[in-house]
Amino acid sequence: MTAFLRDLARLRRGPWELVASALIACGVAMLMQPWVMALFTWSFLVTLAGTVMFIISSHFPD
Amino acid sequence: MTHAPMEKLARATPRPVARRISGLSDRAIAWIFVAPSIFLLLAVNIFPLIWTVRLSFTDYRVNRPNRDVEWVGLRNYERILTDDGIWATMQATAHFLIWTLVLQVLIGFALAFLINRKFRGSDLWTTAIVLPMMLSPAVVGNFWTFLYQPQIGLFNYAIGFLTGADPASFSMIGDVALAPWAIIIADTWMWTPFVMLICLAGLRSIPESIYEAAECDRASKWRQFWTITIPMALPFLMLAVLFRGIENFKMFDLVVQLTGGGPGNTTTLTSIDLKREAFERWRTGYSSAYAVILFVTVFGLASIYVKALNKVKER
Amino acid sequence: MSFSVTAPSPAARWIAGLLVALYAIVTLLPLAWIIATGFKSPADAIAYPPKVLFEPSLEGYVNLFTTRTRIAEADFAALPPPGTWYEEIVRDQGMVIAGPSRYGERFLNSVIIGFGSTALCMVLGTAAAYAFSRFRVPLKDDLMFFILSTRMMPPIAVAIPIFLMFRQIGLNDTHLGMILLYTAVNLSLSVWLLKGFIDEIPVEYEEAALIDGYTRFQAFRKVVLPQAATGIASTAIFCLIFAWNEYAFAVLLTSGTAQTAPPFIPTIIGTGGKDWPAVAAGATIFLVPVMVFTILLRKHLLRGITFGAVRK
Repeated sequence: MTAFLRDLARLRRGPWELVASALIACGVAMLMQPWVMALFTWSFLVTLAGTVMFIISSHFPD
Repeated sequence: MTHAPMEKLARATPRPVARRISGLSDRAIAWIFVAPSIFLLLAVNIFPLIWTVRLSFTDYRVNRPNRDVEWVGLRNYERILTDDGIWATMQATAHFLIWTLVLQVLIGFALAFLINRKFRGSDLWTTAIVLPMMLSPAVVGNFWTFLYQPQIGLFNYAIGFLTGADPASFSMIGDVALAPWAIIIADTWMWTPFVMLICLAGLRSIPESIYEAAECDRASKWRQFWTITIPMALPFLMLAVLFRGIENFKMFDLVVQLTGGGPGNTTTLTSIDLKREAFERWRTGYSSAYAVILFVTVFGLASIYVKALNKVKER
Repeated sequence: MSFSVTAPSPAARWIAGLLVALYAIVTLLPLAWIIATGFKSPADAIAYPPKVLFEPSLEGYVNLFTTRTRIAEADFAALPPPGTWYEEIVRDQGMVIAGPSRYGERFLNSVIIGFGSTALCMVLGTAAAYAFSRFRVPLKDDLMFFILSTRMMPPIAVAIPIFLMFRQIGLNDTHLGMILLYTAVNLSLSVWLLKGFIDEIPVEYEEAALIDGYTRFQAFRKVVLPQAATGIASTAIFCLIFAWNEYAFAVLLTSGTAQTAPPFIPTIIGTGGKDWPAVAAGATIFLVPVMVFTILLRKHLLRGITFGAVRK
């Protein structure tokens, strides 16, 4: 866990990609869940943020 | 845009090799080789994509070319993301997605596990099983409507034969409760082999020596399955799930031929809904925003997929 | 034979084989049913209970390739006897042949567009894959991802701007338009797959050729291409199958002249209810080539469906 936070702070590729993937997965889940309309409404922004983050973080050093 | 990488690309060629070459330089070759592909993709993919994003901020309609096009800002996005109907199609898509993935992974993995026992003729049976996934989804959807016919359909007859129900008493395509399952069954029939093939590759990538070591430690077969087989095959399973997930998120051809989105809106998946907005109601600006939302979602999932792909490649 | 503690017992193998064979038979049943339906008479096709044994008839195939009309009884009786076997089959239904159906045309469109786009795609894809494989390209990963992501995009979403663009430049419902579009979609698969195949050819071969005085282009043509032939062939089959099967773009962007078979087959209807034998015949003719290709491809199948990542 501390190693994860340290790599996050040092802008390493691994943990940032993981966070971005989690955001994308979260966004997709929000888009298709049947319970709360507000989650559906904001899902697009979450997915977009995750995707942009993924593209940027894939250029971080390993 | 593509010029800069090309320059660097040419410079990156090792010097000694470059000096020996007569005729066209490596730089020119690289240019000539990559440029047409990139150009075609720019013209047929990127340019339309940018156009879609632009249109998504307008109220343009293709069927009314003479009307003034107004710039409406984010209104299309607001309307889509607060629309109950679209939310409902997303849920229909989710239902389809989750059940097809569950069924395909369970059946596909089980089949791969069995085929990996290496019995006689396993290659022959594998080839036979794989056939459905290579066929045209639209034509498959069309002929499944025949299999699903009440009374005369083979599927209804088989169900009737197995359960004793009257084959004419239910209609897989016409019934609101059954139609979502009709598309799940057809998709599972078609795509289980895909999951099976990738799982089989995963199982075959596990070195025999690990099992031998576990056997020496007297680990039970059950324990071996959960501590060796599943974790080692997981990257492959992820690959299959992500790819099938993306494919079924944008599912169109099979379902549109099978149920056409009906009855009611029970099988109106996202792509079918988008097709209606764009090519039947001709709300081009609105459907462009809809398309952008799908683009971003698929693009996000695709980037995770490529990550999984590279992970599998390292094995 | 070496003894292994992990090898499954003969009984386990036998049960596994039995279960897999059972699944294969169940899964092939719908396909067999469609092929059989193509050879049934319309009455047999909709019989209850479903007929397994039936008298084969070519009515479905004849109906698929012809359009038929009913004529007045007096005229019908006055007709000379049928000259050909297919005319006889139509006469037996109480009708006469009015002309050929559009199935042949649509099938030909599928062939033209399928082979055209595959050929173009292989030329572009091989060249690009070679460059990606042999030159150190900065941003290579990004370009490769960009190329792959174009394949992932939902066709309906892509079709909206393509429709507008094609309409503007007059490519709607033309063979050229569909060939360009399918080439672009298939390019991702061919570049990824072919890069994998070319990566496997040792660089030393080319370097030797270069030292022998070949130009880079000659080395590519005379050393790399022959070595990659199998890879190119199997990639081509994958591209062909995709173009052959594609439906979404075809149904949205073509209507008359360039329509391919997949959007056409579901529209086949007979007189008085759907003509299932004709539909099944159309599907059979369309699907069988793909089945043959799949059997030819079986060694490379896994590679094809994972964009070259899994090589067995």
